[in-house]
Amino acid sequence: MPYQTAVTVQAALPPDRVAEVRELLHEAGRKSAAGELFPFAEIPGVHFARVVLVPEGPGGAPADMPPSVVYMSEVDGPVEAHLADLVRTAGDGLDRVFGHCAGYPAAGSPDAARIDWLRAHEVPCAAFYVNTVGRGRQQIEQEALLREVIEEFLDRNGPALAGRSPVEIRTAVQDYVGGREDLAWARTGPAPPPLGGRIRRAAHLVGVPLAAVGLLPLLLSALPAWVVLLRLHERRDVPDHARPSHDRIRELAACEDFVAQNPFTAVGSVKTGPFRRITLTAVLFVVDYGVRHVFDRGNLAGVKTIHFARWLFIDGKRRVIFASNYDGSLESYMDDFIDKVAWGLNAVFSNGRGYPRVRWLVLDGARDEQAFKNYLRCHQVPTQVWYSAYDTSTAHDLDTNARIRAGLFGDLGPAETEAWLALF
Amino acid sequence: MTTPLELDDIQGLVTRGYRTLTSACFLVLATAGPAATARAALGRLAPRVTNGRSDPPDTAVNVALTADGLRRLGLEPPELDGFPYEFVVGMTDPDRSRFLGDVGENAPRHWRWGGPAGPPAHVLVMLYARDGQQLRQLEAETRREVLVPGAFTETARLGTAELTDREPFGFRDGISQPLIEGLPKAALAASAAGDGGTDGEQVVRAGEFVLGYPNEYGLLTDRPLLPTRHDPLGVLPRAPEGGADFGRNGSYLVFRQLRQDVEAFRDYLDAETRRPDGSSDPAAQEALAARMVGRWPGGAPLVRAPEHDDPALATDNGFGYHATDPAGLRCPLGAHIRRANPRDSLDPRPGSADSVAVGRRHRLLRRGRPYGPDGTGDGPDAHGLHFLALNANISRQFEFIQHTWLDNPNFNGLHDGPDPIVAPRQERRTTFTEQGRPFRTRHIGLPQFVTVQGGAYFFLPGLKALHYLCTAVPEGGRQ
Repeated sequence: MPYQTAVTVQAALPPDRVAEVRELLHEAGRKSAAGELFPFAEIPGVHFARVVLVPEGPGGAPADMPPSVVYMSEVDGPVEAHLADLVRTAGDGLDRVFGHCAGYPAAGSPDAARIDWLRAHEVPCAAFYVNTVGRGRQQIEQEALLREVIEEFLDRNGPALAGRSPVEIRTAVQDYVGGREDLAWARTGPAPPPLGGRIRRAAHLVGVPLAAVGLLPLLLSALPAWVVLLRLHERRDVPDHARPSHDRIRELAACEDFVAQNPFTAVGSVKTGPFRRITLTAVLFVVDYGVRHVFDRGNLAGVKTIHFARWLFIDGKRRVIFASNYDGSLESYMDDFIDKVAWGLNAVFSNGRGYPRVRWLVLDGARDEQAFKNYLRCHQVPTQVWYSAYDTSTAHDLDTNARIRAGLFGDLGPAETEAWLALF
Repeated sequence: MTTPLELDDIQGLVTRGYRTLTSACFLVLATAGPAATARAALGRLAPRVTNGRSDPPDTAVNVALTADGLRRLGLEPPELDGFPYEFVVGMTDPDRSRFLGDVGENAPRHWRWGGPAGPPAHVLVMLYARDGQQLRQLEAETRREVLVPGAFTETARLGTAELTDREPFGFRDGISQPLIEGLPKAALAASAAGDGGTDGEQVVRAGEFVLGYPNEYGLLTDRPLLPTRHDPLGVLPRAPEGGADFGRNGSYLVFRQLRQDVEAFRDYLDAETRRPDGSSDPAAQEALAARMVGRWPGGAPLVRAPEHDDPALATDNGFGYHATDPAGLRCPLGAHIRRANPRDSLDPRPGSADSVAVGRRHRLLRRGRPYGPDGTGDGPDAHGLHFLALNANISRQFEFIQHTWLDNPNFNGLHDGPDPIVAPRQERRTTFTEQGRPFRTRHIGLPQFVTVQGGAYFFLPGLKALHYLCTAVPEGGRQ
């Protein structure tokens, strides 16, 4: 079981190259041309990947918040190995996109030079949500196959099995799967994640609360002042009532709703001043801890349709990128946000300019349905190039498949055996 | 707390389905000349338009317009930008088609009307009458008023079958409707709910169907507000946010002509349920059809009557799913009515009031009429449904239901199971799963039973807005 890594490479784009790169990404993202420039399917361990164009920051000098091109992927294992695979497999695509950026290795340079350049332009995540920590792409593919094999076995033998008890039926399935050499891996559970990673995870799980306890007197003494400042800032906030233009919606809609999942990429400016920057940093620190250790099993505070999500600072913490891969349509995704996790959205995004008015960091905000939807559409950027390794599988599918595998040879009582059969 | 509904200004189709007016037809019109001529013609029809207060004994007339139609009558950008994106680009925009599953056989290029290959749709006139003769008379009068040279041409006449309580596949239809808060029926249901009934859950805030009233979030849905200088005579009401409110008392009308392949449906049921000796099994056919629909042909819901039809439950609508049937053993999870209106079966916390509350944000007022076999031009033996639905937010209501609930192969934990009755069959395999013990039964490779033959998004304006459009809209959209 590998751990999943969020890879982000961002490089500033000279303003006079923006149009050219936009056109290039548009071409690369056309569904008929999918995979020609960026053959992600050939790179092992990639779950999702995208290349997007982030426009320059609003109002500021281009030098402060320049337009940039951003590569993001969710992959199994360490970033070094992925970048090496990426350069080897999609070197041409990288050259054509990042070749417009300052310092990119000239044509004919060795792969190592490209890898070094990409590594130098990596951006760390402030927080990274993984639907199910440790579930690798190979495991996902194997478990989907296992489910299909058993489904077909049940279809073929439906009449013969129908009169038998759940325990007998599961035994028949076990015998069938056990007899297939190509499914030998299914006889045991997935291997545990690498030891080093597990140790780091455990250290983070314990270390952060310990440090927090140490800092508690300091945090508590700062709290009243922070609350007063928060309310002062919130009263002065200016919500942006802009509606997204129809041209903008058209551009975004053209990139959506082709497969079971969709990408979401949005860029927002942090409200000016140190208070919001510090608050957002702290909130994302808490989010990071929460998604690592609390929401690491298929459920992000009530939303179960997100495969991966990341929050990261760019432009010296003046802007934030939020990027996710989710099941279904944007409308249903936004409705989930409003209905299930408005407080969480508010805590992060209310530090962004133009967000609907929030009280006490978590109240109101996203509950203003149309203002919130308009805000998201206004800050979304088209995900022109996007790849999904399992584009007919929802997070619910992956979870069901994993349960099928876990229960196939496990020790189950009669009730659990019935529940296991109900997974099909 | 409840804002009183301005029934004199709301079109009658919002408040009633005219079930006593069993004859109906829909005329699709296209402008045939300058805006002023078309406006004058529509203005002659406007006084006939039925409002939401009257209970018409003999005939009723309602009128709706596409975004193109509004443009043709002189409403131009940026005013048109106040309408939602989905309405302005229309149902046949390629991104909308992909979203709605209008691809393959369902693609707009095959449509009889409303598609790029067919004649344009600008105005929809909906005519209802007590019998066929009154309808013919009403049609003739309407044509005299609007089909004058240079005003409109009739691009399609969509006839309907005499209204009964059955749709062409043989099932009782139109049982479950949201009740609009502020109308007498809703008050009745709410008081019944006080006595322990669940009918109160069907009461939905008026703003979900009529613009200008609070919706299920307690907010006003975005609507087209015009600069007040465009309405110097004050024909339109003034919006609290400022501006002349062109949207107030209006609604969006989703129209889809859905052909139902009755023969294919019957053949499939027969082939799928043959006895081992190869003979037909009518009872098994009916049971499979009922499991695909979620109700028996007579109307009884499977969750209440899992074994056989029950006339006593023919119009039963006061049920949920979670308490009695969370796993779909009585009513399959993928059954049509369990996905078109999941009631209490979805997150958050199935079975809870929160689950029902989320469902109330995705409801439609259905005003459809079955058609065929008659001269609709859709083949001599064609049957189907003119699906008409009203909502205030096309994206959150109609499109959400179509995409996220009906067409979605992954609905409610399913894997490859779009709606067994109405969903298009795309490249992916379509499976209907009957959950069961000890394990499920799968029906793999369902053929397509319903095909889209036409459609458009219309705006059903309030009567003041209709009057404004016919008389007061500034020439060329501006002054």
